[in-house]
Amino acid sequence: MSSKSLTLSNISKRFGSVTALDNFNLEVGVGELVALLGPSGCGKTTALRVVAGLEHQDNGTVLVADKNISEVPAHKRNMGMVFQAYSLFPNLTVEENVAFGLQMRKVNKTSRLKKAHELLDLVGLDSQSKRFTHQLSGGQQQRVALARALAFEPEILLLDEPLSALDAQVRVNLREEIRRLQLSLGTTTLFVTHDQEEAMSISDRVGVMNNGVLEQIDTPDALYNKPSSSFVAGFVGTMNRIPAQIADGMVEIFGSKIAALKRGNESGQVIALIRPESISVIADSATPNAKVLTRSFMGASSNIVCQTADGTIVQSLMTSASTGDLHPGSSVQLRVLSSEVLVANA
Amino acid sequence: MKIKLQPPLAITLLILGFFVFVPMISAFEYSIRTPLTGGYGWTHYIWAVTEEDFLHYILRSMWLAGVTVLITLFVLVPTLTWLHLSNSKVRGIIDGLSLLPLVIPVVAFAVGAQISFPEFVQNTVLELPFLYFVLALPYAYRALDIGLSAIPLKTITEAARSSGADWLRTITSVIVPVIRGAVMATIALTFALSLGEYTLTVLLHWDTFPTWVTYVAQENILGAIAISMMSLILPFLILTIITLFVPERSTQGRK
Repeated sequence: MSSKSLTLSNISKRFGSVTALDNFNLEVGVGELVALLGPSGCGKTTALRVVAGLEHQDNGTVLVADKNISEVPAHKRNMGMVFQAYSLFPNLTVEENVAFGLQMRKVNKTSRLKKAHELLDLVGLDSQSKRFTHQLSGGQQQRVALARALAFEPEILLLDEPLSALDAQVRVNLREEIRRLQLSLGTTTLFVTHDQEEAMSISDRVGVMNNGVLEQIDTPDALYNKPSSSFVAGFVGTMNRIPAQIADGMVEIFGSKIAALKRGNESGQVIALIRPESISVIADSATPNAKVLTRSFMGASSNIVCQTADGTIVQSLMTSASTGDLHPGSSVQLRVLSSEVLVANA
Repeated sequence: MKIKLQPPLAITLLILGFFVFVPMISAFEYSIRTPLTGGYGWTHYIWAVTEEDFLHYILRSMWLAGVTVLITLFVLVPTLTWLHLSNSKVRGIIDGLSLLPLVIPVVAFAVGAQISFPEFVQNTVLELPFLYFVLALPYAYRALDIGLSAIPLKTITEAARSSGADWLRTITSVIVPVIRGAVMATIALTFALSLGEYTLTVLLHWDTFPTWVTYVAQENILGAIAISMMSLILPFLILTIITLFVPERSTQGRK
């Protein structure tokens, strides 16, 4: 296995007056898949391009298995890359595209075509090997691009929003295929995306970026359940932001007191951060504290949007079976299901 | 397939026919006349190809045109690739500069060259391909510019580089094959322009095929026309051969 670890330390990169990366640090272990997630313009693509050597950092170092490659040109970095836009060479057939990296490494024709067919077989496109790239669908083109990036056994695989140009169903299939391949080949992978579902579903760890810095990097579970900042809490998944009073480490929400998890003011007005699945909605015309605005049926679960007496909008995610008697306009009682809640300053 | 002749197309064809094809056909008809017998024949063509200087000058012009094509591709492909990738403001300036040869009279250009070029440059016929390159620049530049604008240059360049291709391989193995059409157009334009260039050549006192034809015309006008007809067909033949030898690869349907 040729896979290596990747370390970025204190990387800074400016474009004119815009700071794309600000003392950015990241470590990716051997065989690990790390996703960089963030809103557009947060610097995630710049970080990936610095790793690829397509962009040169103003400061900082890039290490691959402790070897400093900061000054190594892109073509000598031995990193496979899949781009957001279709990037296949239109003058080459599918197999020639996949064999391109090996051709550049002066591997003889028989060996490189053999390797190309192995990779095409892995992505399920061996039967298309003689076709030209414009004869393939978008999903197939990205599969070929993935095969091309893996064919020369790169030390690091870089994925720059490879799924964002594809249809919803193809995206889901291909992201799972990427994960399957990545696990079976054990390739260290850095995956840039703005789609949190994509990042959370296939990554070992997800780094959330904002304004050129890494806000938090953690497993998808930890990121979702224990966000380290209000930004991460709001960016990853849906989060209700409910104004509440805090005193003695307890927050009062919907009339009950719940333990507050770290940060925020010690007393006074705060914002409680609560996931929709941690809020239950019960039809109650006697002691209601909210009204249902909408109910969206999504199969197994339903999304209920309510408004409290003080005007706060609260979302709840419940099993559809338990929401049958909830209709727009119904008087309901909201309850917090979790025993602890995150709070942020109001 | 039946092509419906729309008025704009009909007008274009009419003007083209009147000003291009009618004179050409007339010239051809004239060149195969045999005044002595009053009929038609290939006399002047046979005279032209057996003329001892014919081969000498046609080969010389083709050789110079070939060198011009090489200079053009060698200079313009990397330059334009860089201009497109860097997205620099310089591109607008270079765009404008590349049009200058259309505005500057060739006479001024030739006189300027004679005054300013050092003697060792003026002593070699190789000064011509460089000057032809400048004359062909407005056309060659635009042909390549359009070719590069039509492809996702940045992405395929980066894909090539991250796959292990250095800049030279990226240009020769990826960019040039992908913009093959534009490269062929550049070769055709530059080659044809160099092969037919007269004014600059004669002002700089060089002899090439076109200057030789005017010389011949003074003593045998029908022979000169026959030669001109052949020199018209020749670039077409050469370019057809080039096209046949460069394998056609599929580059349609890019997204």
